[in-house]
Amino acid sequence: MNSETILNEVRKLLSPEQVNTDRETLYDASADRYKKYAKARGVLDVPMPLAIVYPNSTEEVSRLLQFCNEHRINVIPRAGKTATEGGLENWKQQTLVIDALNLNKIIKVDTYNMQATVQAGVALQDLEDELRKEGCTTGHSPQSKPVAKLGGLVATRSIGQLSTLYGGIEDMVVGLECVFPDGHISRIKNVSRRSGGPDIRHIAIGNEGTLCYITEVTVKCFKFYPENNRFYGYLVKDVEAGIKVLREVMVNGFRPSVARTYSEEDAAQHFYHFHKNKCVLLFMAEGPEGIVEATGRGIEAAAEKFKDGIIEQVDSKYIEDWFNNLNWSQQDIDDEFEGMKEHDSHAGFTTEISADWETIPKIYNSVMQRVREEYPRAHELTMLGGHSSHSYINGTNMYFVYNYDIHCAPEDEMRVYHHPLQKLIVEETLKFGGSMCHHHGIGKFRSEWTRDEHGSAYYMLEKLKAAFDPNGIMNFGTIFLQEEGRKYLT
Amino acid sequence: MKRTLIFQDTEQIERTADLLAVAGKMYGEEPFESYALVIDGAGAPAVAGNADTPTSCDSPGGLNNPASSASASSPGGPNDPAEALSGFFQHVIRVARHVAEPHDQLGICAILAELQQEYQFDSILVPATPFGRMIAPRLAKRLHTGLVADITDIRRQNGGVEIIRPAYSGRLMAAIATRGSGPVMMSVRPGVFTYSGRGGGDGAGNAGSPETEVREYTTPVESHGSLRRLAVKEKQISYDIRESEVLISGGGGVLRNFSGLQRLADALQGRVSASRKIVDRGIAPRSIQVGQSGRSVSPRLYIALGINGAIQHVEGMKNIESIISVNTNRNAPICSLSDIVVEGDAMEFVDKLTERIEAFRSDAHAEQGAQQ
Amino acid sequence: MKIICVVKIVPDVDSFAYDYENNTLIRENIRMILNPDDACALACALKVKAAQPDCTVEVVTMGPPSVRPHVEDLLRLDTDRGTIISDPAYRGSDTYVTSRILARYLSTRPFDLLLTGSHALDGDTSHIPAQIAEELGLEQMSGITAVDFEHFDRQRAVFEVEYENSVVTYEMGLPAVLSLDRESGYQLPYVKYEDFQKDVSGKLTIIDNGELGFAAGEVGSEGSLTQVVRTYTQNFATRDRTLVQPDEKGIERVFNYLLEKGFLTK
Repeated sequence: MNSETILNEVRKLLSPEQVNTDRETLYDASADRYKKYAKARGVLDVPMPLAIVYPNSTEEVSRLLQFCNEHRINVIPRAGKTATEGGLENWKQQTLVIDALNLNKIIKVDTYNMQATVQAGVALQDLEDELRKEGCTTGHSPQSKPVAKLGGLVATRSIGQLSTLYGGIEDMVVGLECVFPDGHISRIKNVSRRSGGPDIRHIAIGNEGTLCYITEVTVKCFKFYPENNRFYGYLVKDVEAGIKVLREVMVNGFRPSVARTYSEEDAAQHFYHFHKNKCVLLFMAEGPEGIVEATGRGIEAAAEKFKDGIIEQVDSKYIEDWFNNLNWSQQDIDDEFEGMKEHDSHAGFTTEISADWETIPKIYNSVMQRVREEYPRAHELTMLGGHSSHSYINGTNMYFVYNYDIHCAPEDEMRVYHHPLQKLIVEETLKFGGSMCHHHGIGKFRSEWTRDEHGSAYYMLEKLKAAFDPNGIMNFGTIFLQEEGRKYLT
Repeated sequence: MKRTLIFQDTEQIERTADLLAVAGKMYGEEPFESYALVIDGAGAPAVAGNADTPTSCDSPGGLNNPASSASASSPGGPNDPAEALSGFFQHVIRVARHVAEPHDQLGICAILAELQQEYQFDSILVPATPFGRMIAPRLAKRLHTGLVADITDIRRQNGGVEIIRPAYSGRLMAAIATRGSGPVMMSVRPGVFTYSGRGGGDGAGNAGSPETEVREYTTPVESHGSLRRLAVKEKQISYDIRESEVLISGGGGVLRNFSGLQRLADALQGRVSASRKIVDRGIAPRSIQVGQSGRSVSPRLYIALGINGAIQHVEGMKNIESIISVNTNRNAPICSLSDIVVEGDAMEFVDKLTERIEAFRSDAHAEQGAQQ
Repeated sequence: MKIICVVKIVPDVDSFAYDYENNTLIRENIRMILNPDDACALACALKVKAAQPDCTVEVVTMGPPSVRPHVEDLLRLDTDRGTIISDPAYRGSDTYVTSRILARYLSTRPFDLLLTGSHALDGDTSHIPAQIAEELGLEQMSGITAVDFEHFDRQRAVFEVEYENSVVTYEMGLPAVLSLDRESGYQLPYVKYEDFQKDVSGKLTIIDNGELGFAAGEVGSEGSLTQVVRTYTQNFATRDRTLVQPDEKGIERVFNYLLEKGFLTK
């Protein structure tokens, strides 16, 4: 079917107002934040989608998917547009971006059963604001909170800054509704727990738009106790020393809401006013009073036990101030965009990985060494570091951050800087047996390592894809490596 | 007795006398004879009339009819450079207008070389103005002598003299020695040296104004080169915050009254700049946003009003001499970079400081008035 | 039209860190870059060449062998020829000698125009362009902030120089030495990804003293008329961080600070 016909059919399927073919909007929709610099300079190397469509209901999503499935049209499910790994990037000429803009109703807030139900296009901040009115919180606080929407947050298995207490999105989702390429609508009901066969919610949670389109989500609510917040901050000798303290706190059974260790250069971005060029370790405890108190004592005891690695304690006020100034806004994104148009620079990139306690420091040290020794443009790095920010009883993550002066043509930036750095980090992580993707999703730009990431278990993912998306219309290039898309990966 | 020739400051004629301080430092207790070379017509305002009208154009052919130039000066008249220097130098040599134009590098270099032949100066000092920085190296080459550029200090060391100049864009100071038989040549950074014998005293610091002898230089010059000035335009006032020496910068703490900052900026002859918070609200244009995604600035003075100091903002603040921050939170990150931290309301600070400065300035005016 | 750009590879002074404890500048492992003013000069030359296909651009630099990769990168742009003047005997040359060496080479080359930068990030004497011009008997102008490409040919150039309060337009007969300021904003393009490893050795010439024939005493530190005796860093004290309130006492403190630092003189 040719493009003109597709557009006409879609206009009939929905309504003309729900179909957007504005050129600038389509250009913007061609890539996500992975290629933010090339986009700002107008040198994207990928095709534009045919249109962005805004269904008003789950039924319309179903009709759209059926249509696309029949005519082999690529579908990119989209909500908040905060994706950073190419999950929203377009690699096909005939693509429809299905945007959840109009699926924006908060359906129900139930603080007795501690559940809230929203459509996929609801911004997390809006839901959070509603819950706060009733003294509750979602407990989910990614830095993109003001902009990200629930559909994307669930599809990418996102995690928030308070995860060490509240868990990741997978711990918060109760039930959900999603639509499959053949048009089938699945509603997974809200129950506290069940063992009714494998947990099929996890086909949707983390699918990154490759298997289905999420239209509705129910998440848990938690009681909100801002008055009990407690903060701790320390300067530590190195990243490893900080991680030892993190582990001690977790293994002893405490759950601070925030538990982080920053390397020196990364710390400089947030704590330059007190970190004295050292690594920073910080904690926050929140919740009911007794728990906060006990958690505080647990943190203090851990710090005491590992005091050899601790240089000094810092005033809690600094940590509290930092916490109160945490999140992005749409304006941060817009400002960076304007800046990239004018200057040969941006605000940096990240690669987030995970592993167990003893492996994380090994990966960190190995990456730092390899970058400094092997990466040919190491001298152009303006920042290279990382922080651990999500801890579990059995390990933690490492969020590598890097920035550089861009001394090449904008269309070459990926190949000269971002890709080689990311590749190095992924290689080291996989070599040590860690996961290359802690919470951003695989997107497209880590798909060349999906098989390595999953090993023999990749079989299970493959089968799911074959079963639910036999025609391969869902987000071509994401998660599942496509040879046709290789040219975009180098 | 040592003899020094000082080439005039082509931007501000009065500053020429400051170079006598350099000679004084070089020669210490030793008395020396001071000569100044002035070019008739140089140093007078280059611009007459409005920005769009080209002025002071050369007519084709190179030589100018002195009467037709807006910047011609008559001997003894108000624009006469020799007049400005009398009482400071023992000798002033004035090059008549028809001999060489003020921008005639080749001609003026030839004259200087001639004078060196005649007088055998021990040192030739040139103010490091744009013109000075081109003529000094050319002359040094012609005289086969070393030249130390853009000096900021002279020190006497073990019976010798150390000439100090900045290097690596000001990050390092270098001490230079010269050798050879030619005159010691230096270009001198303007505004660094001050001749304290103002209005009196000769180069050796002796009291009393020297009787200045003026010599008219009229010997024609062989080569003038082809350089012609086609047009002179007055520069528009730059609103670029990157060019301002003083920035009054407002952030979230002055959202409600951002326009109030202009008064303080005026009092300090600076410009207003802003953090992202202000620009995001549409209160100020992006062109005055300081920060990594905005503009990088290096003023001498940065007053941060109600700015928290996120790294993205602070990355735009490069090599600033003095930072004053005003914030209700003394632990705001930007305070760690500041010379003075004012803990309190930024607008209150702006109002009070502006009043204090305006009071100072009107007192100073009153004093001046009383003395005239 | 034949243009020769005289350029210098300099330390990237912006990336010098300051060691407060020992009061020194940390100068190890400093990147070398093409001097920004000189980059403008070459960018300007390439712009002329883009408009006039029969124009050739040569880039000349004097430096140690380590400048080679930098010159090769310039040859991966549209530059026709690159010349490195390098000889151990030239080490330690001051501007007087350096300009002599460069001029001797340049006098063997045909050219209509010599383009250079005005200031170098490291030495910043601005002597070289004027002294080369004097050696070659040419006129010179520094601080050029715009070139008028409409009035530009083998006989003359028209250009602007920005001063503190005015902008002056000049005309100068060619051949001559024109020195650009980075304010001119002419940007060198980046080498394309596919050209990163391009072999440009065919366009590169290395000249040593064998070709230029200076006597030992004429060059290097021996031949120089000025010499750096020693260097030292300014004393950068870490900031005081005085804390005051916006009361009368605090305002007075700030006022006096501003007065002392010279921000309140008319």
